[in-house]
Amino acid sequence: MPRNDYDDDLEQDEEEYEDEEEEYDDGDDYGRGGGKDKRKRSRSDFIDDYAEEDDEEDEDDDEEYGVATGGRGGKRHRKAASGFFDEEAAVDSDDEEEEEEGEDDFIDTGADIPDEDERRSHRRPLLSREDEGVDVEEMERIIQERYAKSLNVEYVEEATDVEQQGLLPSVRDPKLWMVKCAIGREREVAVCLMQKCIDKGSELQIRSVVALDHLKNYVYIEADKEAHVREAIKGMRNIYPSRIMLVPIKEMTDVLSVETKAIDISRDTWVRMKIGTYKGDLAKVVDVDNVRQRATVKLIPRIDLQALANKIEGREVLKKKAFTPPARFMNIDEARELHIRVERKRDPATGDYYEKIEGMMFKDGFLYKNVSLKSLSTLNVQPTFDELEKFRQPSETGDGDVSSLSMLFANRKKGHFMKGDRVIIVKGDLRNLKGCVEKVEEDTVHIKPSEAGLNTTLAISDKELCKYFEPGNHVKVVTGSTEGATGMVVSVQGHVVNIVSDTTKELLRVFADNVVESSEVTSGITRIGNYELHDLVLLDDNSFGVIIRVESEAFQVLKGVPERPDVALVRLREIKYKIDKKTFAKDRYKNTLSVKDVVKILEGPCRGKQGPVEHIYKGILFVYDRHHLEHAGFICVKSESCMMVGGSRANGDRSANGFTSRFANLRTPPRAPQSPMRTPRGGPINVGGRHGGGRGHDSLVGAVIKIRLGHYKGCKGRVKDVKVDRSHISDNVNVSTPYRETSRYGMGSETPMHPSRTPLHPYMTPMRDSGATPIHDGMRTPMRDRAWNPYTPMSPPRDNWEDGNPGSWGTSPQYQPGSPPSRAYEAPTPGSGWSNQSGSYNDAGTPRENSSAYANAPSPYLPSTPGGQPPMTPSSAYLPGTPGGQPMTPGSGGLDMMSPVVGADNEGPWFLPDILVNVRRPGDDVVVGVIRDVLPDGSCRVALGSNSNGESINAFPNEIEIVAPRKAEKIKIMGGAHRGATGKLIGIDGTDGIVKIDDTLDVKILDMTILAKLVQT
Amino acid sequence: MFFHIVLERNMQLHPRHFGRDLRDKIVSKLMKDVEGTCSGRHGFIVAITGIESVGKGLIRDGTGFVTFPVKYQCVVFRPFKGEVVEAVVTMVNKMGFFAEAGPVQIFVSNHLIPDDMEFQSGDMPNYTTSDGSVKIQKDSEVRLKIIGTRVDATEIFCIGTIKDDFLGVISDPGATS
Repeated sequence: MPRNDYDDDLEQDEEEYEDEEEEYDDGDDYGRGGGKDKRKRSRSDFIDDYAEEDDEEDEDDDEEYGVATGGRGGKRHRKAASGFFDEEAAVDSDDEEEEEEGEDDFIDTGADIPDEDERRSHRRPLLSREDEGVDVEEMERIIQERYAKSLNVEYVEEATDVEQQGLLPSVRDPKLWMVKCAIGREREVAVCLMQKCIDKGSELQIRSVVALDHLKNYVYIEADKEAHVREAIKGMRNIYPSRIMLVPIKEMTDVLSVETKAIDISRDTWVRMKIGTYKGDLAKVVDVDNVRQRATVKLIPRIDLQALANKIEGREVLKKKAFTPPARFMNIDEARELHIRVERKRDPATGDYYEKIEGMMFKDGFLYKNVSLKSLSTLNVQPTFDELEKFRQPSETGDGDVSSLSMLFANRKKGHFMKGDRVIIVKGDLRNLKGCVEKVEEDTVHIKPSEAGLNTTLAISDKELCKYFEPGNHVKVVTGSTEGATGMVVSVQGHVVNIVSDTTKELLRVFADNVVESSEVTSGITRIGNYELHDLVLLDDNSFGVIIRVESEAFQVLKGVPERPDVALVRLREIKYKIDKKTFAKDRYKNTLSVKDVVKILEGPCRGKQGPVEHIYKGILFVYDRHHLEHAGFICVKSESCMMVGGSRANGDRSANGFTSRFANLRTPPRAPQSPMRTPRGGPINVGGRHGGGRGHDSLVGAVIKIRLGHYKGCKGRVKDVKVDRSHISDNVNVSTPYRETSRYGMGSETPMHPSRTPLHPYMTPMRDSGATPIHDGMRTPMRDRAWNPYTPMSPPRDNWEDGNPGSWGTSPQYQPGSPPSRAYEAPTPGSGWSNQSGSYNDAGTPRENSSAYANAPSPYLPSTPGGQPPMTPSSAYLPGTPGGQPMTPGSGGLDMMSPVVGADNEGPWFLPDILVNVRRPGDDVVVGVIRDVLPDGSCRVALGSNSNGESINAFPNEIEIVAPRKAEKIKIMGGAHRGATGKLIGIDGTDGIVKIDDTLDVKILDMTILAKLVQT
Repeated sequence: MFFHIVLERNMQLHPRHFGRDLRDKIVSKLMKDVEGTCSGRHGFIVAITGIESVGKGLIRDGTGFVTFPVKYQCVVFRPFKGEVVEAVVTMVNKMGFFAEAGPVQIFVSNHLIPDDMEFQSGDMPNYTTSDGSVKIQKDSEVRLKIIGTRVDATEIFCIGTIKDDFLGVISDPGATS
């Protein structure tokens, strides 16, 4: 009997085969006879099976390979061998095999085809004749008999849990040994061992050999002793006796327990390909073969027809191409044009016609591909709209319709209806009935119809329901690519809803199933790690940008490049840190900009846009314009190409509490709210002392003070000198912080003029304006120009009604020339220290405030304002250096902000000779000039012309404006410890300039505002 | 829709304002504070038309600030679902157009624009009927129906439609020029 020689039957030929055929017939007989001999029986089973398969292959071969010659090759052997130990094959039903074979043909383009041809054709007549017609029924009966039998056996042996426990291996049972073998030879090794066992009989003391498909490189051998294993494997190829490992008893069961990983791939489900050219592509399952773990899927082909044509014609084919061809539908005509042979075939299983090109099957432009189930990913497929649209294209009315119901149910998850959902019935008698979900059971949903007169709840299968939305509903996407986004429904098409996203105002198309009604407003996820949407972040490469969108694991960042919008996709780890430093920048007119100031963009692609500044970094502004649809409304611009609109909002806190400091826009917001109760002198309370100083400190010299903090707390004395705290120079130069910070020196009762001064103002001011202002400005202005202005944040819109607006400060000096009295009194106070001023305070302050500054505060908004300077016009009057203002303003802000001393032009010592300035005189244009002399009254003699060759004029400080130096220009330092020193500006960093001082060759970082361009004569 | 209603608000006032014009101060501060603001319940406060009453002030401990309860009449504007409003188109893009009715921004999606109107890109993007007789572009005035509103702390955003009878362009700046 040849059966014993399966392992070496390569040499065997047709003779033997014919033997087998006889054997087969014998088997049949046995089958009919009910099986008298056990051994014979099983043998015949095997043969039976083997013959069947061959038989079917033959039929297929008939179809495909017309003629062939020669003998039979390895295939038979393979089949035979597999038949031997693959029990699965034996229990297969007839149909399945037929299908299998059919599919095999579609994909088998491999090398063994000719091989097969040869052997098949030779024996075909023998078998097919016999089988066809004659034995089919008989065979079926036999198969069923056998099948039933094996089933019976299974049932008998079905064990309870307890019995199963009893069967677990114990110490007395043989052990399992894990033996290493050559990769891919596991089965071969097992078969060889079996053969050896058959050959040698009881000599071999091993009990069994197990080769697992999922475990490469190893086989398990069951034996009592390791020595037995060694003995058994001695002299065998492909097995390495060096490593024999004992499998612990506990793990023995795991070796043989079958992992029941239920892959529930069924027809019409969406899957993704895991490997190959189509990796990641969406595919639709057309057919599944669970036995062979294969599926036929429908794909959009990625085929380079040209390459294919080249290959067919035997031209040179590039070996490995880096790119994958784009997915597009197969155009058969195109293929024909390239002289690719297209065959038209009928699938024997389904009866559909396919176009066959080079072994690939196409239908309607789709590729039908037979793949292993393992290469399909079924989890989280979630086809996107684009993909579905593509799949729909060729068969417009077919089942691929996106809005069709089959699509709806194809990927629906269990239990996605929730109480309160609004649903519509899409099937059955109650179709189009709307209702509300009351209760959800397994597959049944109880709904309460919204129809009047129908009050009973109905139990409906969830297959008949679909979520229902109306245009205008506010919804949130709960699954899918846009998960988390919220928006308003604009239209509903079938079960697809179109949503306008709240934040991006983009249109999203989502399935109704993926959406729930919600009042929440988000743009999806807004946060990963420490970084949130709209944060300013520093990236790896030291560039920076604003997060404009948060995706599932990356951010979209609008980089800080002003020239063009540059959006980068950045991963979490590429972000260094979040920048939340408060910085400032200067706009084109040297206004200090801080976050939340509204600016208008004057240059660049986004010219004309306007919105609040969200971030400032290195002189780059990120402006948010809600009308700007790109980049989440963010625009990146240079601060110099912007213009501040309206007042500075730096203080941010514009609520009613009256604490806000109007000087916040000078440098920083006040650190501590200034309580009027603490000390009447508001300014110095700025503990940081950054703007608490100014030359105002010099005015402290001679004043009687009381020390509030530190060692000498409580001591009183007269101020002798004010020194400069070095550490403060760099960030605030013209404000020379005193050695002992002035803020600590409360003005004691010894200086009665100061405390008494503050309360005076409120009394005076209201009297002046109360009658007029609220009526004119208060009643009308806001409605006209503020209330509807979309750019003003809505809440407290009239911040600039009456209180100090930089614009108003800027303009107020314009009045000075016209009001000589107010100037006049200033003249005799050239050094303008406090000491002088405080003495004459009561009389000096009053007229000035009322006549010029305060009365003019609202002036920029009155059309009649003379001088008509735009509110942006910078004026030295409110540059940080302005002395008078800061220290004197008491707990300012609030309602009746008189802009008292701000306009005060104690500019005397401010300017220095030899600097380039712009001189602006009422009625005249701005002229460039060079200061020649600073006169004792604070005004300057300015030689006009940039080379100072023009005529000389006298200009008041408020008409003079320093020309900011550029990089590499000579400068003169206008304030701070180095006042008067000259140097060279070697770099600009935002609002700070890096200066090399001529004398000492020191490099200092100084505020740009105190640097002036030096003109040497 | 506009409403004339009475609202109440507690005003905090700095003691320095106390004097004979205290009431004026309160009023002007009130205007400054509330006009132009938006609340979900009442919509935008357009203007204060009068003061009903100013209650007794209460001095706050520690600060010296005084809180006055003020009742005031004001005109508010609140858009409603289903309301028909007239609005000015502010921006047109392929997704639809944005329009403003006073402080309220309204978006009309292209799904809610009649099907015969097509988007034309270019310098002045617009929606035009096939015969070119009706054109929606920036600064057009349209009559639209609000179909959904979203109320934030500081703004109200609406979705509108012009896909209905008697809705659409009411004056076209392009027609005259």
